[in-house]
Amino acid sequence: MAEGFDIDHLAKLARLSLTAEEKALYSSQLNQILGHFEALAQADLPALSDDARVVDEAALRSDEPGPVLGSAAVTRLAPASRDGQISVPRVVDDES
Amino acid sequence: MSTPPSDWEVVIGLEVHVQLHTRAKVFASSPWGFGQEPNEQVDPVVLGLPGTLPVVNREAVEKSILFGLVVGASVPEHCSWDRKNYFYPDNPKNYQLTQKDFPVVVGGQVEIELPGASRNVMGEHKFIRIHHAHLEEDVGKLSHAGSGSLVDYNRAGVPLLEIVTEPDLRSSAEAEAFLRSLVAMITQAGVADCDMEKGQLRCDCNVSIRRRGTEKLGTRTETKNLNSISSVRDTVIYETARQIRELEAGRSITQETRGWNAELVRGYVLRDKEDAHDYRYFPDPDIPTLKISRETVTRLSALVPENLYDRQRRYIANLGLPYTAASVLVNDRALAEWFELAVAAHPANPSGIANLVANDLLRDLAASATAPVSLESCLIKPAQLAGLVKLTDEGVISKQQAKEVFTEMFTSGRDAAAIVDAKGLRQNSDTGELEKIVQEVIADPAVAKSIAEYRAGNEKAINALKGPIMKRTQGKANPVLIDQLLRKFLG
Repeated sequence: MAEGFDIDHLAKLARLSLTAEEKALYSSQLNQILGHFEALAQADLPALSDDARVVDEAALRSDEPGPVLGSAAVTRLAPASRDGQISVPRVVDDES
Repeated sequence: MSTPPSDWEVVIGLEVHVQLHTRAKVFASSPWGFGQEPNEQVDPVVLGLPGTLPVVNREAVEKSILFGLVVGASVPEHCSWDRKNYFYPDNPKNYQLTQKDFPVVVGGQVEIELPGASRNVMGEHKFIRIHHAHLEEDVGKLSHAGSGSLVDYNRAGVPLLEIVTEPDLRSSAEAEAFLRSLVAMITQAGVADCDMEKGQLRCDCNVSIRRRGTEKLGTRTETKNLNSISSVRDTVIYETARQIRELEAGRSITQETRGWNAELVRGYVLRDKEDAHDYRYFPDPDIPTLKISRETVTRLSALVPENLYDRQRRYIANLGLPYTAASVLVNDRALAEWFELAVAAHPANPSGIANLVANDLLRDLAASATAPVSLESCLIKPAQLAGLVKLTDEGVISKQQAKEVFTEMFTSGRDAAAIVDAKGLRQNSDTGELEKIVQEVIADPAVAKSIAEYRAGNEKAINALKGPIMKRTQGKANPVLIDQLLRKFLG
């Protein structure tokens, strides 16, 4: 099966730096996954109506505020934090 | 300078992001609000932690539909959400939930009014088309500190309606007028507060130029994240001038994303995030397509307030208001409704009421000693103001005295008639008594010269007789009546 993706492009989008071995491994694994989906697409299934994935407004939540985690719990999830905020390497979008 | 040289035409399209007026976030129950400690308004759904599922907030959907109805858009039978995938620390899930193919609002238009030649003159009106509006989640806030950046996710998941215009705007003045009109319509309908100080309205501004008379659009730039109307205006002026300069120097315009430095009043190229536009959208598998019932649309239609320019036209055509007063009243729905209650109590003189509301009432509300007073907590009520105008119209007090009574009413909340009586301001309209006084004054040799002048044709000479009459009545004589009586006896 021809690869339906460009592993280098995907790695770049995912901010991953991959070795040649990893690229080969992940390409093969991704192909397997896509192969499964292709198999699913081939299956002879009864047609689902368009309404199958449609809900009405009863499925909406009411505008009631609920509990929060608190900043201590939020920052514990991250590798680094400071003053209740999550600390990350500097991301630049200001004038430079 | 707000207009480009005449052979270039600027074409502007805006993407306006408005935080909707809700208590909880759009896909999670976490509360949100301005000015909280960082990361205190975050729950597992906001962070997209394993095992959590987003559920759409009904209020956010209804506020979006209400916006659509306000701008005369069509509300589709269905809308759905998509994942916009990108890696950036403002985004805890690595995707933003948004609506790509089936937004909640399609079409619509916003009427705008351009500035007139002066404050008293109404400017040109235009309609700006809305392409669509989609309901998405806001992202977290980054601040830069030294070698690192800090992330606060309080804003992540706040309901955000992105309103996308057609490229219908043709000047910085039109962009400014559009935003003012849009904000008035949104706030008057209670869809959102649009408090720009709190970042509740942010704008992306697409600008291109072309030779006037040509059809083909030029290459556009997008300046992102403008957080005030003045920044949008300045960006348009700056980008227009820059693009004209580039093209006239024989260079070309690069399609690029730009930032805006409001302090330095200049734009800059944003460092290109490589492949930033490859967002790999796909339908969100966790949120089913939503069917919007026509009953809901009908119910929300009843909440759409009168369009501000329809109201302005009605005030001018039906109530006979001058444009200046009408334009002040219609910008604030609460003020306009207050005015209408007063008119209902005294329908004979809408202009007199409008004058007091647009000038005296607004001035005193803004200038109260402690802090600006809101219309709701204001002591003076619409029917009381109507009572004051009625007393003036009936000649019981003069217009000058009405101002004085108004000030007293504003601070005490008492009825005009009670203040007029307590201060003894009631004008004397007793014809019999006044006739006697007028005749006595006319008989006084001191005014003989003025009488002679008046009889010789000098109209103004009659005024010299009014002073002594006012003096003898302690200023309480009805000036209209005095004038009539003097002319009768001297005629």
